Amino acid sequence: MYEGLSSPNIHTPHNMAEFSSIITHYPSSTMWAGGTYIMTRPDAYPSKVMNAEIIFLGEIEELHRFQRNDRFAEFGSMVTLDEVMSVGKAVLPKVLTDNIREIGSRLITRRATLGGAISTKGLTTSFPGTLVALDANVEIRMIKKKRLHSRWMQLTRLLDRNGTISLPPQSMISRIRIAFTDKNCQFFRSTGSFMTDPENAMSVSFTASLDQDVLNNPTIAFTYPSHGILYSRDIDNVFSSLRFPLDESERRNLEMIIFTFIDSSFQDLSDLQKIRTKGMLRAIVDELNEKTLTMPVQD
Amino acid sequence: MKIDCSIDGKTLTLSLNSNKPLSLILSENIGDGAAVNHCRGDMCGLCAVLVNGKPMLSCMVPAFEIRGKEIITFESFQKTRAMKDIEKAYELVGAAPCRECYASRTMIFESLISDGVSEPEEIIKELSIVRCPCMDTEDEVNIVLKAIDIRRKRRVRRS
Repeated sequence: MYEGLSSPNIHTPHNMAEFSSIITHYPSSTMWAGGTYIMTRPDAYPSKVMNAEIIFLGEIEELHRFQRNDRFAEFGSMVTLDEVMSVGKAVLPKVLTDNIREIGSRLITRRATLGGAISTKGLTTSFPGTLVALDANVEIRMIKKKRLHSRWMQLTRLLDRNGTISLPPQSMISRIRIAFTDKNCQFFRSTGSFMTDPENAMSVSFTASLDQDVLNNPTIAFTYPSHGILYSRDIDNVFSSLRFPLDESERRNLEMIIFTFIDSSFQDLSDLQKIRTKGMLRAIVDELNEKTLTMPVQD
Repeated sequence: MKIDCSIDGKTLTLSLNSNKPLSLILSENIGDGAAVNHCRGDMCGLCAVLVNGKPMLSCMVPAFEIRGKEIITFESFQKTRAMKDIEKAYELVGAAPCRECYASRTMIFESLISDGVSEPEEIIKELSIVRCPCMDTEDEVNIVLKAIDIRRKRRVRRS
Protein backbone atom coordinates (compact mmCIF):
# COMPACT_ATOMS: atom_id res chain seq x y z
CA MET A 1 0.00 0.00 0.00
CA TYR A 2 2.84 2.42 0.81
CA GLU A 3 5.32 0.97 -1.68
CA GLY A 4 5.63 4.33 -3.39
CA LEU A 5 7.04 5.97 -0.26
CA SER A 6 10.74 6.07 0.29
CA SER A 7 11.97 2.87 1.81
CA PRO A 8 14.59 3.07 4.58
CA ASN A 9 18.09 2.00 3.57
CA ILE A 10 19.17 -1.09 5.43
CA HIS A 11 22.84 -1.53 6.28
CA THR A 12 23.90 -4.94 7.53
CA PRO A 13 27.47 -4.79 8.84
CA HIS A 14 29.15 -8.16 9.33
CA ASN A 15 31.81 -6.98 11.76
CA MET A 16 32.63 -4.00 13.95
CA ALA A 17 34.91 -2.44 11.33
CA GLU A 18 32.04 -2.31 8.85
CA PHE A 19 29.78 -0.96 11.57
CA SER A 20 32.17 1.87 12.37
CA SER A 21 32.46 2.85 8.71
CA ILE A 22 28.64 2.89 8.30
CA ILE A 23 28.01 4.86 11.48
CA THR A 24 30.66 7.39 10.42
CA HIS A 25 28.92 7.90 7.08
CA TYR A 26 25.40 7.93 8.52
CA PRO A 27 25.66 9.30 12.06
CA SER A 28 21.90 9.71 12.54
CA SER A 29 20.95 6.18 11.54
CA THR A 30 18.68 3.99 13.67
CA MET A 31 20.19 0.89 15.21
CA TRP A 32 18.08 -2.21 14.86
CA ALA A 33 18.55 -5.13 17.25
CA GLY A 34 15.52 -7.44 17.64
CA GLY A 35 13.00 -4.83 16.54
CA THR A 36 10.44 -5.82 19.19
CA TYR A 37 10.00 -2.22 20.34
CA ILE A 38 10.34 -0.45 16.98
CA MET A 39 7.89 -2.75 15.20
CA THR A 40 5.24 -2.44 17.89
CA ARG A 41 5.04 1.35 17.61
CA PRO A 42 1.84 2.43 15.83
CA ASP A 43 3.86 4.65 13.47
CA ALA A 44 6.54 2.05 12.68
CA TYR A 45 5.30 1.63 9.12
CA PRO A 46 5.24 3.52 6.84
CA SER A 47 8.36 5.38 7.91
CA LYS A 48 7.66 9.11 8.21
CA VAL A 49 11.33 10.02 8.01
CA MET A 50 12.67 10.64 4.53
CA ASN A 51 15.95 8.92 3.70
CA ALA A 52 15.90 6.90 6.91
CA GLU A 53 18.95 4.74 7.50
CA ILE A 54 18.76 1.56 9.53
CA ILE A 55 21.77 -0.39 10.76
CA PHE A 56 20.74 -3.99 11.38
CA LEU A 57 23.10 -5.45 13.99
CA GLY A 58 21.95 -9.05 13.62
CA GLU A 59 24.76 -10.03 11.24
CA ILE A 60 27.64 -8.99 13.51
CA GLU A 61 28.86 -12.32 14.79
CA GLU A 62 30.77 -10.78 17.69
CA LEU A 63 27.56 -9.45 19.23
CA HIS A 64 26.04 -12.94 19.41
CA ARG A 65 28.79 -14.42 21.56
CA PHE A 66 28.51 -15.22 25.22
CA GLN A 67 30.95 -16.65 27.70
CA ARG A 68 31.05 -17.32 31.38
CA ASN A 69 33.55 -18.21 34.04
CA ASP A 70 33.18 -18.74 37.78
CA ARG A 71 32.82 -15.02 38.51
CA PHE A 72 30.67 -13.54 35.76
CA ALA A 73 28.72 -14.11 32.57
CA GLU A 74 29.37 -11.93 29.57
CA PHE A 75 26.79 -11.56 26.83
CA GLY A 76 27.00 -9.91 23.45
CA SER A 77 24.32 -7.28 23.01
CA MET A 78 22.55 -9.27 20.28
CA VAL A 79 22.08 -12.35 22.48
CA THR A 80 18.35 -12.89 22.77
CA LEU A 81 16.61 -13.19 26.11
CA ASP A 82 15.68 -16.76 25.22
CA GLU A 83 19.36 -17.60 24.67
CA VAL A 84 20.23 -15.99 28.02
CA MET A 85 17.78 -18.35 29.70
CA SER A 86 19.06 -21.38 27.84
CA VAL A 87 22.72 -20.83 28.71
CA GLY A 88 22.59 -19.72 32.27
CA LYS A 89 19.27 -20.49 33.93
CA ALA A 90 21.03 -22.35 36.76
CA VAL A 91 23.85 -19.90 37.40
CA LEU A 92 22.42 -16.49 36.57
CA PRO A 93 21.02 -14.31 39.38
CA LYS A 94 17.40 -15.11 40.20
CA VAL A 95 16.36 -11.49 39.74
CA LEU A 96 17.45 -11.63 36.09
CA THR A 97 15.84 -14.96 35.26
CA ASP A 98 12.63 -13.83 36.99
CA ASN A 99 12.67 -10.69 34.87
CA ILE A 100 12.96 -12.69 31.64
CA ARG A 101 10.22 -15.08 32.78
CA GLU A 102 7.91 -12.14 33.54
CA ILE A 103 8.02 -11.08 29.89
CA GLY A 104 6.01 -14.13 29.01
CA SER A 105 5.87 -15.85 25.66
CA ARG A 106 8.99 -17.08 23.91
CA LEU A 107 7.62 -15.50 20.75
CA ILE A 108 8.86 -12.25 22.25
CA THR A 109 11.93 -13.46 24.15
CA ARG A 110 13.20 -15.22 21.01
CA ARG A 111 13.42 -11.84 19.26
CA ALA A 112 14.15 -9.37 22.05
CA THR A 113 17.87 -8.85 22.67
CA LEU A 114 19.74 -7.79 25.80
CA GLY A 115 21.32 -4.77 24.13
CA GLY A 116 18.02 -3.69 22.61
CA ALA A 117 16.26 -4.01 25.97
CA ILE A 118 18.79 -1.66 27.55
CA SER A 119 19.05 1.00 24.88
CA THR A 120 15.44 1.33 23.69
CA LYS A 121 14.71 4.95 22.88
CA GLY A 122 11.55 6.53 24.25
CA LEU A 123 10.74 3.73 26.68
CA THR A 124 12.56 2.17 29.60
CA THR A 125 12.14 -1.58 29.82
CA SER A 126 12.47 -3.46 33.07
CA PHE A 127 15.95 -4.80 32.16
CA PRO A 128 18.17 -1.81 32.85
CA GLY A 129 16.64 -1.62 36.35
CA THR A 130 17.47 -5.27 36.99
CA LEU A 131 20.99 -4.84 35.61
CA VAL A 132 21.48 -1.77 37.80
CA ALA A 133 20.40 -3.83 40.82
CA LEU A 134 22.99 -6.44 39.79
CA ASP A 135 25.68 -3.79 39.32
CA ALA A 136 26.25 -4.93 35.72
CA ASN A 137 28.97 -3.50 33.50
CA VAL A 138 28.59 -2.72 29.83
CA GLU A 139 31.08 -2.25 27.05
CA ILE A 140 30.40 0.85 25.00
CA ARG A 141 31.77 1.07 21.46
CA MET A 142 31.91 4.63 20.21
CA ILE A 143 33.30 6.60 17.32
CA LYS A 144 35.81 9.25 18.28
CA LYS A 145 37.79 11.05 15.61
CA LYS A 146 36.59 8.51 13.04
CA ARG A 147 38.01 5.62 15.06
CA LEU A 148 36.18 2.96 17.03
CA HIS A 149 36.92 3.07 20.74
CA SER A 150 35.72 0.73 23.43
CA ARG A 151 35.18 1.36 27.11
CA TRP A 152 33.79 -0.70 29.98
CA MET A 153 31.65 1.11 32.50
CA GLN A 154 29.04 0.48 35.15
CA LEU A 155 25.51 0.69 33.82
CA THR A 156 24.61 3.12 36.61
CA ARG A 157 27.02 5.62 35.02
CA LEU A 158 24.88 5.68 31.90
CA LEU A 159 21.83 6.82 33.87
CA ASP A 160 21.20 10.51 33.32
CA ARG A 161 19.49 12.87 35.73
CA ASN A 162 16.04 11.82 34.46
CA GLY A 163 16.74 8.16 35.09
CA THR A 164 16.99 7.16 31.45
CA ILE A 165 19.90 5.36 29.83
CA SER A 166 21.77 7.83 27.65
CA LEU A 167 24.50 6.64 25.35
CA PRO A 168 27.07 8.96 23.77
CA PRO A 169 26.30 9.86 20.13
CA GLN A 170 27.43 7.31 17.52
CA SER A 171 27.87 4.60 20.11
CA MET A 172 26.41 1.26 20.96
CA ILE A 173 26.45 -1.31 23.76
CA SER A 174 28.41 -4.31 22.57
CA ARG A 175 28.76 -6.50 25.66
CA ILE A 176 27.07 -6.85 29.02
CA ARG A 177 28.90 -8.37 31.98
CA ILE A 178 26.83 -9.71 34.86
CA ALA A 179 28.69 -10.81 37.97
CA PHE A 180 27.44 -13.90 39.79
CA THR A 181 26.18 -12.72 43.11
CA ASP A 182 25.88 -14.54 46.42
CA LYS A 183 23.19 -12.17 47.66
CA ASN A 184 20.50 -14.33 49.23
CA CYS A 185 17.59 -11.87 48.81
CA GLN A 186 16.66 -11.27 45.21
CA PHE A 187 13.32 -9.94 44.23
CA PHE A 188 11.80 -8.92 40.91
CA ARG A 189 8.18 -7.94 40.38
CA SER A 190 6.50 -6.19 37.52
CA THR A 191 2.92 -5.05 37.09
CA GLY A 192 1.14 -3.76 34.04
CA SER A 193 2.28 -4.02 30.45
CA PHE A 194 5.45 -2.05 29.64
CA MET A 195 4.66 -2.11 25.92
CA THR A 196 0.95 -1.40 25.78
CA ASP A 197 0.35 0.52 29.01
CA PRO A 198 3.60 2.35 29.88
CA GLU A 199 1.79 5.08 31.83
CA ASN A 200 0.66 2.65 34.52
CA ALA A 201 3.22 -0.14 34.45
CA MET A 202 6.20 -0.38 36.79
CA SER A 203 8.73 -2.89 38.06
CA VAL A 204 11.10 -3.22 40.95
CA SER A 205 14.39 -5.12 41.20
CA PHE A 206 15.94 -5.68 44.59
CA THR A 207 19.06 -7.53 45.70
CA ALA A 208 20.62 -7.78 49.15
CA SER A 209 22.31 -10.15 51.57
CA LEU A 210 20.32 -10.90 54.66
CA ASP A 211 22.64 -11.95 57.45
CA GLN A 212 21.55 -12.23 61.08
CA ASP A 213 18.46 -10.06 60.52
CA VAL A 214 20.48 -7.24 58.95
CA LEU A 215 20.53 -6.34 55.27
CA ASN A 216 23.94 -5.93 53.67
CA ASN A 217 24.66 -4.31 50.29
CA PRO A 218 21.04 -3.69 49.35
CA THR A 219 20.37 -2.32 45.87
CA ILE A 220 16.91 -1.36 44.72
CA ALA A 221 15.81 0.04 41.38
CA PHE A 222 12.29 1.10 40.47
CA THR A 223 11.48 1.28 36.77
CA TYR A 224 8.69 3.38 35.29
CA PRO A 225 8.60 2.80 31.50
CA SER A 226 7.57 6.28 30.47
CA HIS A 227 9.78 8.04 33.03
CA GLY A 228 12.91 6.05 33.67
CA ILE A 229 14.77 4.24 36.41
CA LEU A 230 14.77 5.41 39.98
CA TYR A 231 18.02 4.32 41.54
CA SER A 232 19.73 6.14 44.34
CA ARG A 233 22.48 5.25 46.81
CA ASP A 234 20.42 7.12 49.41
CA ILE A 235 17.54 4.64 49.09
CA ASP A 236 20.00 1.77 49.36
CA ASN A 237 21.37 3.33 52.54
CA VAL A 238 17.88 3.59 54.02
CA PHE A 239 17.51 -0.17 53.54
CA SER A 240 20.96 -1.05 54.82
CA SER A 241 20.33 0.52 58.21
CA LEU A 242 17.23 -1.58 58.85
CA ARG A 243 16.92 -4.56 61.16
CA PHE A 244 14.29 -7.10 60.21
CA PRO A 245 11.52 -8.01 60.86
CA LEU A 246 9.91 -4.59 60.51
CA ASP A 247 6.65 -3.78 62.23
CA GLU A 248 3.84 -1.79 60.67
CA SER A 249 5.02 1.67 61.82
CA GLU A 250 8.60 1.03 60.65
CA ARG A 251 7.29 -0.13 57.30
CA ARG A 252 5.20 3.05 56.95
CA ASN A 253 8.25 5.12 57.84
CA LEU A 254 10.30 3.38 55.17
CA GLU A 255 7.50 3.90 52.65
CA MET A 256 7.41 7.60 53.46
CA ILE A 257 11.17 8.08 53.04
CA ILE A 258 11.19 6.24 49.73
CA PHE A 259 8.19 8.15 48.41
CA THR A 260 9.95 11.41 49.24
CA PHE A 261 12.74 10.29 46.89
CA ILE A 262 10.30 9.13 44.22
CA ASP A 263 8.32 12.39 44.35
CA SER A 264 11.46 14.46 44.05
CA SER A 265 12.64 12.47 41.01
CA PHE A 266 9.43 11.76 39.08
CA GLN A 267 6.71 14.32 39.77
CA ASP A 268 4.14 13.07 37.28
CA LEU A 269 3.74 9.40 38.13
CA SER A 270 0.19 8.15 37.68
CA ASP A 271 -1.90 7.28 40.74
CA LEU A 272 -1.85 3.64 39.74
CA GLN A 273 1.94 3.63 39.54
CA LYS A 274 2.12 5.12 43.03
CA ILE A 275 -0.27 2.52 44.42
CA ARG A 276 1.65 -0.23 42.67
CA THR A 277 4.95 1.06 44.05
CA LYS A 278 3.47 0.98 47.56
CA GLY A 279 2.29 -2.59 46.98
CA MET A 280 5.73 -3.64 45.74
CA LEU A 281 7.46 -2.11 48.76
CA ARG A 282 5.08 -3.93 51.03
CA ALA A 283 5.77 -7.19 49.19
CA ILE A 284 9.53 -6.71 49.58
CA VAL A 285 9.23 -5.98 53.30
CA ASP A 286 6.88 -8.95 53.77
CA GLU A 287 9.31 -11.25 52.02
CA LEU A 288 12.25 -9.99 54.07
CA ASN A 289 10.21 -10.33 57.27
CA GLU A 290 9.26 -13.86 56.34
CA LYS A 291 12.84 -14.73 55.50
CA THR A 292 14.09 -13.36 58.81
CA LEU A 293 11.46 -15.17 60.85
CA THR A 294 11.97 -18.50 59.13
CA MET A 295 15.77 -18.43 59.03
CA PRO A 296 17.36 -21.20 61.13
CA VAL A 297 18.96 -19.85 64.32
CA GLN A 298 22.75 -20.09 64.26
CA ASP A 299 24.71 -21.16 67.34
CA MET B 1 14.02 -3.19 -2.08
CA LYS B 2 14.01 -6.64 -3.72
CA ILE B 3 13.65 -9.54 -1.32
CA ASP B 4 13.91 -13.26 -2.08
CA CYS B 5 12.08 -15.56 0.27
CA SER B 6 9.96 -18.66 0.32
CA ILE B 7 6.35 -18.30 1.38
CA ASP B 8 4.29 -21.48 1.71
CA GLY B 9 6.79 -23.38 -0.39
CA LYS B 10 6.82 -20.89 -3.26
CA THR B 11 10.07 -19.06 -3.92
CA LEU B 12 9.25 -15.41 -4.49
CA THR B 13 11.09 -12.22 -5.34
CA LEU B 14 9.16 -9.31 -3.86
CA SER B 15 9.67 -5.61 -4.36
CA LEU B 16 8.87 -4.10 -0.97
CA ASN B 17 9.50 -1.27 1.43
CA SER B 18 12.36 -2.53 3.56
CA ASN B 19 10.59 -2.08 6.90
CA LYS B 20 7.17 -3.34 5.86
CA PRO B 21 5.86 -5.83 8.46
CA LEU B 22 5.43 -9.43 7.34
CA SER B 23 1.77 -9.34 8.41
CA LEU B 24 1.11 -6.62 5.81
CA ILE B 25 3.22 -8.39 3.18
CA LEU B 26 1.10 -11.51 3.64
CA SER B 27 -2.22 -9.71 3.46
CA GLU B 28 -1.42 -7.08 0.80
CA ASN B 29 1.25 -8.63 -1.43
CA ILE B 30 0.43 -12.32 -1.11
CA GLY B 31 -3.33 -11.99 -0.57
CA ASP B 32 -3.34 -14.38 2.36
CA GLY B 33 -6.75 -14.08 4.03
CA ALA B 34 -5.70 -16.02 7.12
CA ALA B 35 -2.97 -13.52 7.98
CA VAL B 36 -5.56 -11.70 10.08
CA ASN B 37 -5.04 -8.08 11.05
CA HIS B 38 -2.18 -5.70 11.50
CA CYS B 39 -2.65 -4.63 15.11
CA ARG B 40 -0.17 -1.71 14.99
CA GLY B 41 1.57 -2.46 18.24
CA ASP B 42 -1.40 -3.74 20.16
CA MET B 43 0.32 -7.13 20.49
CA CYS B 44 -2.89 -9.08 19.93
CA GLY B 45 -0.95 -12.23 19.04
CA LEU B 46 -3.24 -13.10 16.13
CA CYS B 47 -0.66 -13.10 13.37
CA ALA B 48 1.67 -15.99 14.22
CA VAL B 49 3.45 -17.67 11.32
CA LEU B 50 6.35 -20.11 11.21
CA VAL B 51 9.63 -18.52 10.10
CA ASN B 52 12.23 -21.25 9.53
CA GLY B 53 10.04 -23.52 11.67
CA LYS B 54 9.88 -21.15 14.65
CA PRO B 55 6.67 -19.30 15.51
CA MET B 56 6.87 -15.54 15.23
CA LEU B 57 4.41 -12.68 15.28
CA SER B 58 4.43 -11.55 11.67
CA CYS B 59 3.71 -7.94 12.69
CA MET B 60 7.14 -7.87 14.37
CA VAL B 61 9.16 -9.17 11.43
CA PRO B 62 10.27 -6.46 9.00
CA ALA B 63 10.69 -7.21 5.30
CA PHE B 64 14.50 -7.03 5.37
CA GLU B 65 14.61 -9.85 7.91
CA ILE B 66 12.71 -12.37 5.76
CA ARG B 67 15.40 -12.45 3.07
CA GLY B 68 16.25 -16.09 2.39
CA LYS B 69 13.85 -17.35 5.04
CA GLU B 70 11.14 -19.97 4.73
CA ILE B 71 7.73 -18.78 5.88
CA ILE B 72 4.80 -21.09 6.50
CA THR B 73 1.39 -19.51 6.99
CA PHE B 74 -1.81 -21.14 8.18
CA GLU B 75 -3.09 -21.13 4.58
CA SER B 76 -0.65 -23.85 3.56
CA PHE B 77 -0.29 -25.46 6.97
CA GLN B 78 -3.98 -26.38 7.12
CA LYS B 79 -3.52 -28.76 4.18
CA THR B 80 -0.82 -30.80 5.90
CA ARG B 81 -0.96 -34.06 7.84
CA ALA B 82 0.29 -32.23 10.95
CA MET B 83 -2.88 -30.13 10.95
CA LYS B 84 -4.98 -33.31 11.05
CA ASP B 85 -3.24 -34.27 14.33
CA ILE B 86 -4.13 -30.95 15.86
CA GLU B 87 -7.73 -31.12 14.61
CA LYS B 88 -8.03 -34.60 16.11
CA ALA B 89 -6.68 -33.26 19.43
CA TYR B 90 -9.27 -30.44 19.33
CA GLU B 91 -11.97 -33.07 18.85
CA LEU B 92 -10.72 -35.35 21.63
CA VAL B 93 -10.33 -32.53 24.16
CA GLY B 94 -13.65 -31.02 23.11
CA ALA B 95 -12.30 -27.51 22.75
CA ALA B 96 -11.07 -25.48 19.82
CA PRO B 97 -10.01 -21.86 19.31
CA CYS B 98 -12.58 -19.37 18.02
CA ARG B 99 -12.50 -18.19 14.38
CA GLU B 100 -10.54 -15.05 15.32
CA CYS B 101 -7.52 -16.80 16.81
CA TYR B 102 -7.80 -20.22 15.15
CA ALA B 103 -4.94 -19.68 12.69
CA SER B 104 -2.52 -18.08 15.14
CA ARG B 105 -3.16 -20.44 18.03
CA THR B 106 -2.92 -23.47 15.75
CA MET B 107 0.48 -22.34 14.44
CA ILE B 108 1.77 -21.93 18.00
CA PHE B 109 0.31 -25.33 18.93
CA GLU B 110 2.19 -26.82 15.98
CA SER B 111 5.53 -25.38 17.10
CA LEU B 112 4.98 -26.72 20.63
CA ILE B 113 3.99 -30.15 19.33
CA SER B 114 6.91 -30.43 16.91
CA ASP B 115 9.32 -29.42 19.70
CA GLY B 116 7.66 -31.96 22.03
CA VAL B 117 7.06 -29.39 24.77
CA SER B 118 5.04 -31.11 27.49
CA GLU B 119 5.66 -28.82 30.48
CA PRO B 120 2.27 -27.19 31.25
CA GLU B 121 4.00 -24.00 32.44
CA GLU B 122 5.93 -23.68 29.16
CA ILE B 123 2.81 -24.32 27.09
CA ILE B 124 0.77 -21.72 28.94
CA LYS B 125 3.61 -19.19 28.73
CA GLU B 126 4.07 -19.66 24.99
CA LEU B 127 0.34 -19.32 24.31
CA SER B 128 -0.06 -16.32 26.59
CA ILE B 129 0.84 -14.08 23.65
CA VAL B 130 -2.59 -14.73 22.10
CA ARG B 131 -4.84 -12.22 23.83
CA CYS B 132 -8.12 -13.83 22.72
CA PRO B 133 -9.82 -15.24 25.83
CA CYS B 134 -11.76 -17.98 24.03
CA MET B 135 -9.73 -20.90 25.44
CA ASP B 136 -9.08 -22.31 28.85
CA THR B 137 -5.39 -22.82 29.74
CA GLU B 138 -6.17 -26.36 30.88
CA ASP B 139 -7.65 -27.14 27.46
CA GLU B 140 -4.59 -25.65 25.76
CA VAL B 141 -2.27 -27.93 27.75
CA ASN B 142 -4.49 -30.96 27.06
CA ILE B 143 -4.57 -30.22 23.33
CA VAL B 144 -0.77 -30.07 23.10
CA LEU B 145 -0.32 -33.25 25.14
CA LYS B 146 -2.99 -35.10 23.13
CA ALA B 147 -1.55 -33.95 19.81
CA ILE B 148 1.97 -35.02 20.83
CA ASP B 149 0.56 -38.44 21.68
CA ILE B 150 -1.38 -38.68 18.40
CA ARG B 151 1.69 -37.71 16.38
CA ARG B 152 3.91 -40.18 18.22
CA LYS B 153 1.44 -43.02 17.60
CA ARG B 154 1.14 -42.08 13.93
CA ARG B 155 4.93 -42.17 13.52
CA VAL B 156 5.16 -45.54 15.29
CA ARG B 157 2.44 -46.97 13.00
CA ARG B 158 4.25 -45.66 9.93
CA SER B 159 7.59 -47.13 10.96
